[in-house]
Amino acid sequence: MANEISQNHIRVRDLSVRYGSTQVLNHISLDIPDKKITAIIGPSGCGKTTLLKSFNRLIDLQEGASVGGRVFVDGEDIYDPKTEITHLRRRMGLLSQRPQVLPMSIYENVIYGLRVHGEKDKKKLDKAAERYLVEAHLWHEVKDRLHSSAARLSIGQQQRLCLARGLAVGPEVILGDEPTSALDPISAEQIEQRFLALKNKYTIVLVTHILRQARRLADYVVFLYLGHLIEHGPAEEVLNNPRYIKTKAYLEGRFIEEPEIEKELDLRKLTLSESLKALGKMSGELKVGQVFRILVEEERLPELIASPLAGQHTVLEVKKRDIIISEVIMQKNEGGYSI
Amino acid sequence: MDKRKIEEYIFKVFMLAAVSIVLGSLIFILATILVKGLPALSWEMLTQTPRGGYYMGKGGGILNAILGSLLLGIGATILAAAIALPIVFYLNLYLRRRSRFALAVRFFLDALWGIPSVVYGAFGFTLMIFFGLRASLLAGMITVAFLILPIMARGMDEVLKMIPFELQEASLSLGATRLETAGKVIFRQAFPGILTAILMAFGRGMSDAAAVLFTAGFTDSLPYSLFKPVATLPLAVFFQLGTPFPEVQSRGYAAALILTAIVLSLSILARLITRGMNKHVIKQE
Repeated sequence: MANEISQNHIRVRDLSVRYGSTQVLNHISLDIPDKKITAIIGPSGCGKTTLLKSFNRLIDLQEGASVGGRVFVDGEDIYDPKTEITHLRRRMGLLSQRPQVLPMSIYENVIYGLRVHGEKDKKKLDKAAERYLVEAHLWHEVKDRLHSSAARLSIGQQQRLCLARGLAVGPEVILGDEPTSALDPISAEQIEQRFLALKNKYTIVLVTHILRQARRLADYVVFLYLGHLIEHGPAEEVLNNPRYIKTKAYLEGRFIEEPEIEKELDLRKLTLSESLKALGKMSGELKVGQVFRILVEEERLPELIASPLAGQHTVLEVKKRDIIISEVIMQKNEGGYSI
Repeated sequence: MDKRKIEEYIFKVFMLAAVSIVLGSLIFILATILVKGLPALSWEMLTQTPRGGYYMGKGGGILNAILGSLLLGIGATILAAAIALPIVFYLNLYLRRRSRFALAVRFFLDALWGIPSVVYGAFGFTLMIFFGLRASLLAGMITVAFLILPIMARGMDEVLKMIPFELQEASLSLGATRLETAGKVIFRQAFPGILTAILMAFGRGMSDAAAVLFTAGFTDSLPYSLFKPVATLPLAVFFQLGTPFPEVQSRGYAAALILTAIVLSLSILARLITRGMNKHVIKQE
């Protein structure tokens, strides 16, 4: 659908990130829809924050990080050496886990970004300060002490100040890295309300480990596990009807286990009929409930899964091994076979 | 009593002993210069230059050394800060945390810190010969700047290391450049610590005698040119204590008292003037 593509604000293509010798993200490809809330979920250490930070290239600052693949924002490859990094970051507001106010007054915090980008007109700055503090729902709490230190605000107020500061530079995307995790429930609720109110104007990407938060806010869900993209799609589908076993386990709060693989089948460079023959032969050798893995070119995946023989197995997981090859983990179904 | 309580008690005693040794020696030094120097301190001493025979007990003062030391100390501090600030911002903002280069720079700064000041004096002296400079205010400033550079840079470096990385991220994620982040955010946050490092270095630079012995020279006249020798308080103390005359010796103590008072009052003054700079500093809980 051509229409669908133009509605994707951020497109990630075969993104891999490593810190030194540790692979943190493996061949991630996904689209982040425009003016929707996308939640990135997954257990800690699965690469959620890394994925988020690769969108505004804050990842560049990470010790020993190397990035492969591409990320397009509005169709522009942000890892292109010609990309102006300050302009990119200006388009991406960031809310971090702990609100990090700047060592200056509340007013100066809000207009910091504007000043950096060259705005000098006092009237415009005043107006912007008010407008974005209102938008972040902080104005009525601070309007009488705009010039006192931002560090003296409560932590929930600080997070809303960070939101106002981020909005003031006129971003298109808001990136939230577990933005409510350090906050008390009421402040967290206020931030969530802000997200819902802002999603008509901004594309919001939210890393969260709180499943209920994802249910409350997200239109679109991305599930990462150990650096692999396991599943992504509209929130209702992924959260209520997950396709793969790991997503299910995570959503039900169970321990995620790697299935034990009995056999591996390499279908690379085979035709469809050859593949099906090999598949049929192997499934005859397996017992019900046993798990096997097939390797296949990604582009051939749909026809293979759509075939009736493959349909008799449950697909537990689809993983990308590299840009071309996919790994499909399948489980032999109960019931017999009729070909 | 149980063993852990005894341990606790013993270590408390050790700590108290250590603190009293430090405090005690400080008080002892201050008391010595107060008792021996205060009687000799006079208005004349603060406002006049040495007259003929000053070092043998005749009239005059050490205004030459007071002004000389102030000029030399402030000049050297500014010079050292102009080098130290770029170094530490480069180390902490531009280089990666575990950069080998940063490690090497820190190691060299630490090593420089350990070199005795008389060696800096000799180093300054060879530089002077190389550039054809005579013992002068400028040569003294440069030498003292080298002497206090490691103290200042490592002090600032430790302060910048403590600043959370997230603060940098916050500024950069708004589209600021590293330089803007350094100047508008990190500098403000680190300012109290940077000031401490500068004042520490200033105190050290003002009170060092060996580095200025060959490089700044000594004179009885007031400082009037960067290229002429200049008197300094540590040397004034040294020369006066070295005479056989008791009244000149007690003037030496008075000069030491003046030196201490100048360092102390300038430190307090600097804190007062810059108090407004600290009010937005974010305190980590």
